[in-house]
Amino acid sequence: MSLLSVRDVHSGYGDMQILHGVDLDVNAEEVVTIIGPNGAGKSTLMKTIFGLLRLTRGQIEFEGREISGLSADRIVRLGLAYVPQVDNVFPSLTVRENLELGAFVDRHAPRRRVDRVYELFPALRPRQTKRVGTMSGGERQMVAMGRALMLDPKLLMLDEPSAALAPNLAATIFDRISAVNQGGTAVLIVEQNAKESLRRSHRGYVLAAGRKCFEDEGPAILANEDIGRLYLGGA
Amino acid sequence: METLARIPQLLVYGVVSGSILSLGGIGVSLTYSVLGFSNFAHGDIMALGAYLALALLPAASALGISGRPLGALSFGADFVGALLLAVVATCAVVLTLDRILFRRLRNAGRITLMIASVGVALGLRSLIQFCWGPQPQYYSAKIQRAQVIPGLGVKIKPDQIFIVATAIGLTLLLHLFLRHTRIGKAMRATADNAALARVTGINAERVIVWTWILGASLAAVAGILIGIENKFIMPELGWQLLLPIFAAVILGGLGNAYGAMVGGVVIGVCEEVSTAFLSTAYKPAVAFVILILMLLVRPTGILGRRG
Amino acid sequence: MEQLVGVLNYIVFFGISAGIYAVLALGLNLHWGMTGLFNIGVAGFYAVGAYASALVCGLPPSAWDARIVGGFDLPFVVGLLAAVVASGVLALLLGIPTLRLRADYLGIATIGIAETVRLMLKNEAWLTNGVWGLQQIPSPLYEAIHRLTSGYLRAHPDLRPWQQALVSRAYNGFYLLLVIVIVVILYRVLRRLSRSPWGRALRAIREDEVAAAMTGKNVFAFKLQALVVGAMVMGIAGALYAHSARFISPASFEPLYGTFLVWVMLMVGGSGNHKGAILGAVVVWGIWAATDFLTGYLPFTATQVAALRVLAIALLLETAILWRPKGILPESRGKRPSHS
Repeated sequence: MSLLSVRDVHSGYGDMQILHGVDLDVNAEEVVTIIGPNGAGKSTLMKTIFGLLRLTRGQIEFEGREISGLSADRIVRLGLAYVPQVDNVFPSLTVRENLELGAFVDRHAPRRRVDRVYELFPALRPRQTKRVGTMSGGERQMVAMGRALMLDPKLLMLDEPSAALAPNLAATIFDRISAVNQGGTAVLIVEQNAKESLRRSHRGYVLAAGRKCFEDEGPAILANEDIGRLYLGGA
Repeated sequence: METLARIPQLLVYGVVSGSILSLGGIGVSLTYSVLGFSNFAHGDIMALGAYLALALLPAASALGISGRPLGALSFGADFVGALLLAVVATCAVVLTLDRILFRRLRNAGRITLMIASVGVALGLRSLIQFCWGPQPQYYSAKIQRAQVIPGLGVKIKPDQIFIVATAIGLTLLLHLFLRHTRIGKAMRATADNAALARVTGINAERVIVWTWILGASLAAVAGILIGIENKFIMPELGWQLLLPIFAAVILGGLGNAYGAMVGGVVIGVCEEVSTAFLSTAYKPAVAFVILILMLLVRPTGILGRRG
Repeated sequence: MEQLVGVLNYIVFFGISAGIYAVLALGLNLHWGMTGLFNIGVAGFYAVGAYASALVCGLPPSAWDARIVGGFDLPFVVGLLAAVVASGVLALLLGIPTLRLRADYLGIATIGIAETVRLMLKNEAWLTNGVWGLQQIPSPLYEAIHRLTSGYLRAHPDLRPWQQALVSRAYNGFYLLLVIVIVVILYRVLRRLSRSPWGRALRAIREDEVAAAMTGKNVFAFKLQALVVGAMVMGIAGALYAHSARFISPASFEPLYGTFLVWVMLMVGGSGNHKGAILGAVVVWGIWAATDFLTGYLPFTATQVAALRVLAIALLLETAILWRPKGILPESRGKRPSHS
């Protein structure tokens, strides 16, 4: 049984339907990347899984349990965490406050979890009392991921984690993603420029025009010439 | 020369009335940043608190709280009891309003909420007029002797010291609440980025309830402090407060609670000091002029950030 | 028969008030309904229009024992013009600092202007005669019509009392006609404006200011124009009120009468729809007037009933917002630029 199973999902914004039947699976301890052109519905899919957009048709199951229609705090409690692409930090709060809010739903969360995030992102520790709004894009991304990892999620969903980051920073972020995965957390990543991401993924999906159009192992997608030409900016 | 000599005394009055405006402004700022709209009923919520305190004074006495004046103050412990009861009652009214009105309009947009709040202002005011009549209601008929502050040559009444101390105390408490409690942090997070707060699992409705409780409590206390300072209250009080309070909030940067605090004192001081040069009748217009100047020069407020 | 004349007289009186409110509602419809300008200081523009016209058309102050600057005894049309100019200039001055900012700022600034105007009316006695107000404001063509009717009454001494009453009150009928003509003219002008490219631009700004700006529209200029023109319409309402009541004082322009009622009218009638604005004015003024009859039947004092009437108006506003947000006559769909 897969950890997350998405079947025939239709959803969108108001009257505008964007997803027209998407199927997708993420197994435990797996890294999965969704690639596809702008407007294909990648972010919409993530928001739908997290209950931020209303599902008009289809099922979303997490550990065999239907989660569509659940409130966000229930979904967080079940072990999903989501890092949006933009506005993914609380800018006027400090690094430490941002991280602590990641454990909001569990009032008994042990304090050492913050330390574990600092171990993963050592650059954050000396800056823990800084307001996040004053920090660089790379640091913000670390805070955003750290916040999502506070409750030890079973599945971490990342929307374009390397967008707008310098290449060396993007590499660091992907390193950290691999480290998180080695700790047993499954990761679902949406990426537009996805070579690095696919290289590190067990499997990948290609999403276009609101539908899944291809699925394979990560490296195999990278090797696929058609997809390379269409979605990865040349092979 | 005589005009200038009055200024230190006017500064004192300004700080007193400004500290009351600050309490009101902080409430407006909180509702603005968490619920996303300017609550034009806030002045009338303050007035409601002031009236409820008067109405609940017999209840406080009935609880056996002594009415003997506290030290040099013009009121006794029973009045403090009535104040607390009024705070609770004001919160109950405001939460009921949220339940039956504002909650249904959560997705209706900022401006619809503003219009609804104008209607609430009108409704609360007419309710006050229905229950207590249009004539002034007196808090205390006693004239209190002002004390000279040694060395400064300015006078201040014990009640006024109580007002400033209460305002400072409540502001500090609010600060600690927002910094250190779980719900305080959730409120700040929601104000900062409501969408991310939701993703983090923060229950928006609970945050909203707490925001109303804090805003209404501060409003009720501020209204009661006005009653203490002016000795009487009238149904128009709420509407008249709206302009100086919003001027304070905008001066401090809309949505910035600390800014509203500073803005309140600035407006209070400017209003009082203006009476040295202008007819007292124009005191309410001073807030408006400052507001317009501020909008022309620096619309984000003194402590405001962009956006 | 006398009763019938009484009823007719009441209807005429009601019609004049409702018509003046219809003008205010049309002005607010241009502000809020078409452009999305959050003006909660309608009373300010209304008052300025009333005072401007009254000062220009009024009798010299010596005639009614007051010491003010003003009272030039000029024709009604000049007064109307003065009202339009005064309210328009006030709107211009208010719009420049506020219209580049969010709606909240305009809202609070309009409250500020209305309150400041009221304070000035109260305290600048050299111009406004303070709380005593301006008195003996002439009504247009009153002398001429009065001469006609009294001549007719003299010529027909055998008229029944009800006929006499009817003739002697003919002036009110004329004034109602004048108000209706002005409402119709304003309705036609505003309808024309709202169908023009200018009106479409205003609605585009209302729906999405950023998108409107991206299509190259000067959003600030359009908003300023709408604010000024709407305020001018409110100024006309002020002039009509002054010349019908013949006495104005700061108390006539309390926020309840000058602003809140107008908002409720527009929200109930249908904001964005000119016909809705007029209908809302008639319906809400009708409800307001009808609640007046309740006074005798409720076990409360007169001031308590007055408060209950206001409460009823507030509840009407909330009811409209909750259950009929588009009003009785919603803006027609074709006029709405679609969201995307």
